[in-house]
Amino acid sequence: MKSIVAVGVWAYMVLAVVAEVETFYLTTSFATVASVVTVLATSQAVAVVLFYMQLKDEQGSLRLFALIPIMFLSALLIAMLASLGGK
Amino acid sequence: MTDTWLKRWLYTTNHKDVGILYFFTSLYFGFVGAILALLMRAQLAAPGSNLLSAAYYNQALTMHGLIMIFWFLSPVALGLANYFVPLQIGAKDLAFPRINAMSYWIYLAGGILAVLSFFVPGGTANAGWTTYQPLATLALGTGPTLAYLGMVLLAASVTLGSVNFMVSIIWLRATGMTLSRLPMFTWFMLFTIIAMLFAFPTLIAAFVLASTDRILGTVFFTSTSIQPSILWDNLFWFFGHPEVYIVLLPGFGIIANILPAFTGRPLAAKNAILISTGLVVIPLSFGVWMHHMFLTGIPVSLQGAFSIATIAISIPFDVITLSFIESLVRGRVKFATPMLFALGGVILFIIGGITGVFLSSPVLDRAFRGSYFVVAHFHYVMVGAAIFGIIAGIYYWLPRMTGRMYNEKLGKWHFAISFIGFNVLYFPMNLLSDMPRRIFTYPNQGDWATLNAMASVGAFIFSGAQILLAANLLYTWFRGPIAPANPWGSPDLEWTSHVEGIAPIAESGAAPPTGGWIGQLSGPPQGHETQSRGGAVGHYGHLSSRPIQISIGALVFLIGAAFYPSISGVAGLVVGAGAVVYAFWGWAKDDIEGKFVVPPEDVGDRWPFASVPKLKLGIWVFLSSEVVLFGSFLGAYIFIRAASAQWPAAGSIHEIPLGTFNTLVLVTSGLTMFLALQSIRKGDRRGLLTWMGVTFVLGAVFMGVKVSEWFNLGGSGFVLADPAMSLASSAYYIIVGLHGAHVTAGLLVMAYLMKKTSMGTYTKDSHEAIENFGLYWAFVDIVWCFVFPLFYLL
Repeated sequence: MKSIVAVGVWAYMVLAVVAEVETFYLTTSFATVASVVTVLATSQAVAVVLFYMQLKDEQGSLRLFALIPIMFLSALLIAMLASLGGK
Repeated sequence: MTDTWLKRWLYTTNHKDVGILYFFTSLYFGFVGAILALLMRAQLAAPGSNLLSAAYYNQALTMHGLIMIFWFLSPVALGLANYFVPLQIGAKDLAFPRINAMSYWIYLAGGILAVLSFFVPGGTANAGWTTYQPLATLALGTGPTLAYLGMVLLAASVTLGSVNFMVSIIWLRATGMTLSRLPMFTWFMLFTIIAMLFAFPTLIAAFVLASTDRILGTVFFTSTSIQPSILWDNLFWFFGHPEVYIVLLPGFGIIANILPAFTGRPLAAKNAILISTGLVVIPLSFGVWMHHMFLTGIPVSLQGAFSIATIAISIPFDVITLSFIESLVRGRVKFATPMLFALGGVILFIIGGITGVFLSSPVLDRAFRGSYFVVAHFHYVMVGAAIFGIIAGIYYWLPRMTGRMYNEKLGKWHFAISFIGFNVLYFPMNLLSDMPRRIFTYPNQGDWATLNAMASVGAFIFSGAQILLAANLLYTWFRGPIAPANPWGSPDLEWTSHVEGIAPIAESGAAPPTGGWIGQLSGPPQGHETQSRGGAVGHYGHLSSRPIQISIGALVFLIGAAFYPSISGVAGLVVGAGAVVYAFWGWAKDDIEGKFVVPPEDVGDRWPFASVPKLKLGIWVFLSSEVVLFGSFLGAYIFIRAASAQWPAAGSIHEIPLGTFNTLVLVTSGLTMFLALQSIRKGDRRGLLTWMGVTFVLGAVFMGVKVSEWFNLGGSGFVLADPAMSLASSAYYIIVGLHGAHVTAGLLVMAYLMKKTSMGTYTKDSHEAIENFGLYWAFVDIVWCFVFPLFYLL
């Protein structure tokens, strides 16, 4: 990967942080802020994994392996929150 | 270094030695757990007994469960795996020998903490092995804290071991040892390791949060404004149900491994067993935990979903069991001792499995939950199937470990008495479905007295039978006749390879594996170790004192933590931390001076990660477990936020501009670390040093800002003691602190890498360590991408 791409990823990360903070200041709705920061934080994580950790250049099996903990964790988070729902 | 007997065992990193250490240490803990069980059964032998008080009974019950599950069942399998997995795959050792030794010593340190907890005023943990919170917080004193910290160490040890085994099985297979040829024991250990890798981080998170409640006064499980019991249930059982398979699968792997040797035919439906276990049991094991929570008031829709998942997970076990039965029916069964125990394990699993199906139903669960029916169910599975399978493996491999044959007659008596004793012990509990478990005494009603008396008699018979195992081990070791090279006619590598000159490889008919360790054995082993039959292994340049030093440091540190804030507690923290830092410094020094070198492996079969270097694969595997660890902490935080009616408004506690600045600092350090890597890829060592120096400075600035933020927050009243702030401050200090600890560890490693860079270690063609550190640093970056908005903006 060329260094210019890495700088581009960094620029995206900076913009995403600024966007998160701006959303917080501009919006009073908790749901809106939560949605925006979830999307932006996830996109930042994906960018770092693909480019800085260079998963995009790795074998497909490693990419699949990297998804396993995300899958288990998603199940935990969703069910955990659902378990608060009561009867 | 003089190669004395004591130094060998304290400093060994050899997989066989570590396996033997695991094996005997786990037998010791099994003995402790059995004594506790016998105390309980003696107490319950008659109604109204007062042999044990309620308090002592509860402690015995709790520690029996914790010690048996965590310090006996899994480690005894790990002992066999340490010894035999490398032999079965044709490797000379595990991928990371020092980390393997460290796993063992940390496991032992955790066990010492657990046992120590009995001897402090007030005794040990007493809320059952599930340590349900907030019930468990009622047990005050240092004992439970020591036990919890022991659990944290144990879980850390398991995580390190999982990474090591996973990389070893993937990366160290000899040429020709394709996955389709992998022996069943190694396959099942791989499945077990994958489950451990993703299950144990949640346990670490749960026990760290519970421990900080006890030590630092955080309120994760004591706050009345959330539902702490549901939080604990989720964290604990997300780990706890996969743990059932973690305990069970090694025993099953042994049974599947040895059936062909005693039935004279290949294992029936081998691929179906592998697919069922790998693609159904393991993934689904992480999707059934809420059947332990049917009575907690979770929504009915969730109960239905988890009931279906629980019933579904029994299907692959049907496949496995039917395959075993078909192997038995179609083969000519030789009833040697290993086979008898394997057969016993299958029978006991069928009984345990059938009773488990009842518990998957939310309706029936209401009747059975908390009764002795449940106790019978999980003992049939976790003791019956798992332990009978492991004992089968002990007898099967004893000739390989000692070079001598065990006493067959004694072995058969051992099986007969164990099987009868086991069923006399546990079958009555199936009939005690109306008697609550976890009670220290009971009235003389119905047939409770008779059934309990039977169970107690069975307990003494079953325990007594294990004396025969000990006797047989001693007999084999000292008096057993010399074993044939391959007493069972097994085609597996541990029996048929040239390793230790036992037998020619090609007896199995198929083209044998040739690479790796096997390939190197055309001549004597080269400078790595000399081996001889019977487990005696001489080490040259393969000893390390660092693993045990780290373990001792961690032990002292955690004892200090348990006694914090007393003077002795603080002293323990300081001395322990110093010892750990000293040991890691020594570890790094050993590397720099080339004192400990793991010889590179030959090319072997590495599918499906053929193009991923060994250490890089290790880092990825480790980071995948870190994802679950941080995910569990952040999940707990999100749960607490969702369950709390009130929370300090975003922006009212944390300074958003400062947090934003710090986030940008860390984000930038990700770029500079990448530029450091790019520099060395071009052979620019100066560029590497410069960019890594910039990364170090940015990381240090990030930590400096964090520390000053903490001081300011503490000074402005954001403290645990303030009821309005206690939950928010608990979550912030612990989770952000954990991230800070990762950044600090990264800074220390970076200093070490910069030192090696200045020595000219890294070149354009050799800079794997830089690449791997870059992965870690990027991961730390990712975690902060979530921590910042969660704590500062929401």
